[in-house]
Amino acid sequence: MTDHILSQNSPAAHDIDIARSRETRRHRLNAVLRYALLTAVGLLMLYPLIWLIGASFKTNSEIFSNPGFWPENPTLDGYIKGWKTSTPYSFGTFFLNTLWIVIPKVIGTAISCTAVAYGFARFDFPGKKILFAALIATLLLPNVVTRIPQYLIFRDLGWLDSYLPLWVPSALAGDAFFVFMLVQFLRAIPRDMEEAARVDGATTWQTLIFIVVPLLMPALISVCLFQFMWTMNDFLGPLIYISSVDKYPISLALKLSIDTTEAFEWNRVLAMSVLSLAPALAVFFLAQKYFIDGISSGGIKG
Amino acid sequence: MSGDNRFLGLIYLSPFVIGLLVFTALPFIASLYLSFTNYNLMNEPVFTGLQNYIRLFTGDRTFRKSLWVTLVYVFTTVPLKLAFALFMAVILNYKLKFINVFRTAYYVPSILGGSIAIAVLWRYIFADVGLVNMGLTTLGFEPVNWFGDPTNALFTITLLRLWQFGSAMVIFLAALQSIDKTLYEAASIDGAGKWTSFVYITLPLITPVIFFNLIMQMVQAFQEFNGPYIITQGGPLKSTYLLPIYIYDEAFKRFDMGYASAIAWVLFLIIMALTLIAFWSSRHWVYYAGDKRS
Amino acid sequence: MARLQLRNLEKDYGSFRAVHGINLDVEDGEFMVLVGPSGCAKSTTLRMIAGLERVTGGEIRIGGELVNDKTPGDRGISMVFQNYALYPHMKVRKNLSFSMRLKRRPSAEIEQATNHVSSLLEIDPLLDRLPKQLSGGQAQRVAVGRALIKKPQVFLFDEPLSNLDAKLRASMRVRITDLHKRLKAENQQATVIYVTHDQTEAMTMGDRICVMKDGRIMQVADPVTLYSRPANTFVAGFIGSPEMNFLDGTFEGPESVGAADQTISLGADFTRRLSGEPSGGVTIGIRPQHLRIAAAETPGTLKGKLNRIEFMGHEVYLYVDIGPKRIIAVVPSASYDRGALRDDWVWLSPDPKGVHLFDRQSGENISLAL
Repeated sequence: MTDHILSQNSPAAHDIDIARSRETRRHRLNAVLRYALLTAVGLLMLYPLIWLIGASFKTNSEIFSNPGFWPENPTLDGYIKGWKTSTPYSFGTFFLNTLWIVIPKVIGTAISCTAVAYGFARFDFPGKKILFAALIATLLLPNVVTRIPQYLIFRDLGWLDSYLPLWVPSALAGDAFFVFMLVQFLRAIPRDMEEAARVDGATTWQTLIFIVVPLLMPALISVCLFQFMWTMNDFLGPLIYISSVDKYPISLALKLSIDTTEAFEWNRVLAMSVLSLAPALAVFFLAQKYFIDGISSGGIKG
Repeated sequence: MSGDNRFLGLIYLSPFVIGLLVFTALPFIASLYLSFTNYNLMNEPVFTGLQNYIRLFTGDRTFRKSLWVTLVYVFTTVPLKLAFALFMAVILNYKLKFINVFRTAYYVPSILGGSIAIAVLWRYIFADVGLVNMGLTTLGFEPVNWFGDPTNALFTITLLRLWQFGSAMVIFLAALQSIDKTLYEAASIDGAGKWTSFVYITLPLITPVIFFNLIMQMVQAFQEFNGPYIITQGGPLKSTYLLPIYIYDEAFKRFDMGYASAIAWVLFLIIMALTLIAFWSSRHWVYYAGDKRS
Repeated sequence: MARLQLRNLEKDYGSFRAVHGINLDVEDGEFMVLVGPSGCAKSTTLRMIAGLERVTGGEIRIGGELVNDKTPGDRGISMVFQNYALYPHMKVRKNLSFSMRLKRRPSAEIEQATNHVSSLLEIDPLLDRLPKQLSGGQAQRVAVGRALIKKPQVFLFDEPLSNLDAKLRASMRVRITDLHKRLKAENQQATVIYVTHDQTEAMTMGDRICVMKDGRIMQVADPVTLYSRPANTFVAGFIGSPEMNFLDGTFEGPESVGAADQTISLGADFTRRLSGEPSGGVTIGIRPQHLRIAAAETPGTLKGKLNRIEFMGHEVYLYVDIGPKRIIAVVPSASYDRGALRDDWVWLSPDPKGVHLFDRQSGENISLAL
């Protein structure tokens, strides 16, 4: 009997060990290859950004001579001169202008999209199917086709050269993507708690404020973050509607700084570029999980 | 519920309804009307019938060039971007450490990519003495004339879009990670290798996501504006003069609103047609879980 | 006047009628249980009383007032939900006081009411916890507390114990019925409508039970009546465990019925219970507890093949095949006598008082005349 017992030294156990270590080696090789590829692509992708930050601290001449990203003689010259800009206004003014667009837009979006999503997700009313179909249609609609008449409408309203055209449509739940995202999120939440609130005597409005909004918070935060990022990057909107330089948001101000002359001070422009990206980057890193969760759930559950 | 006004839901929808009518439905119809007129903002629009469209398709060389450039741009960037995003998602879909770091690293360009700052950076990077050429000369190659050569210019714009593959990749990665691992185990028992598993299990199961990304990317690509406008101003020789830029120039530089509307409608119809084709074709290649069709 | 009145209450979903014109009166302070298998529309009925579903026909009156068009908050009802439905972002204290805060009651009043209710339900130590930090039983007590604090005219319970384990269910049953008694003793509003699918819960808790099937009321009665005088085969089979045995049979004259080619004698008095002479076939219903083992070959008894025996302690369950039909007899262990069997054949004699005859077509009980 004893000679059939499997021991560490028996041939069968030995074969298993060989197979297992071959498996581990294959796995390890696979992982190493992946790491190598991922790192290479990652560095290639991020180098422009890394270089940008480094370049903003370089002198103008060094920018065109040194491809490495670490400045030889770091200087704040780009930032100081860039802040002053070649206009009568400092970059700070342009930053403030951007806030005057972003903040009303984000707040308006949050409020209106919540109310509209609540309406779609929790109520039945005549015309619901048509309106929901319209929502989906808006989602897929290329807005190039509505841009010109929108301009004419705003002109007739006297809103040209103001920030109103940039955030009022969003305050009317104009961003179908966010409404859709909130509707999907709401659909996954059971109605029990809202029913309990109604039995407790709450009106639909009170139910929305005290019960639904707290439950909706993670999705709402995602919505606000996305809207913040997209609005900070918005260029075409301000380009069409803002004509006075003193009202320029940073996207237009940046364009202005490369428009002026052919040979301009690159280090100033790059410094201001870094500053204009800083808020978006900061917000992204602080609230990463809301971004990734938002985009993957909005994308899949759609 | 009992006691609630039948139209209560509509009251909550009212911002949307107002916005829909004023800022979407009305402009949509108005732009169609405008495309049949001659309107330069000073006087009233003058009805001109099909004149704009005739001019577009017979005499307008800029339009033909712009249309061609746009189509080339869309049909190169969309497949390439999706393929690359899927490829990287597949690489990332493994038991690795730092997955989140890589994912973030690839995603960051997507959130910044549409900004003016990045466009400005791109203009520098591909300048004659910019970063790319500096790198090329260091490695012993000849510097390339990026913005002076029509093909190269389009390449720089294309590259900018491909650089932003992160957002599509994140969606693909989530889809890949949601596939039931036991399916692969069953497949390997059935004798399927890595590639076969990928083709017969992974791909079919993520077709809904591929479809979604395809539509989204295509619609976005057709409306690309910031990049070409800032980096190359549509040149050289209109080699990066995408249709949205043409529309903008006609509407807000030349104030030929009628003509611009006509171009916008042509672009719109092209996008719609391609979207419909995609939807129609999806029946044949998109697999939805819970579908009884094989 | 009844505290709750349902008159011809109907609920349609498009072309599908879920509730078919039901009528029910629930007296002041009564503990009324709605029971039935899933799909019988008991929850739908409850939700219509609560106002969470719109009424498509008929009337609901609470305290004499028509409430069809009133919002759930305006009807004088409160509800305990199956999944507790506590507000997850509020502490227990805030969960309890929500209804009062909505009415902007003074904070002293709110605090007093909260403390009273939490001591009543023994949830004082939990007041500063969030719902996710509570166990199932604790959460359910908070849900009951939330209902109590509103001092409604009618309390509605929607299968509140079905998410709890068996032991908790038993103790919560007692807690709820004790609470009910206490409220009545203190002369407070204590009318309860309690929905469950569990007939044990129904029988042990209800003053009266309303048995429902497919959106219709099968019978409304107190537990004893429901058990001993079921109005139809559905109620007879639903109430009581193990289920009542049903055999297809014929009425064969004043003293006997026939089933499975056998004649069962029921005694001279049996006909007096019948409301009329049954013409067609009948369904014979006998509860397992009303069958006794008779001596072998006793005439007028039910003969069958013993398939299985389960020894339950002080009772024995006998599974007997009468032809293709399997019936159960439950007899005291002391009376179980192996000697009465012949090769697994057993003779069962029914207690005539426990035999019911139902019209085979309608299922109606035709033996309730006495």
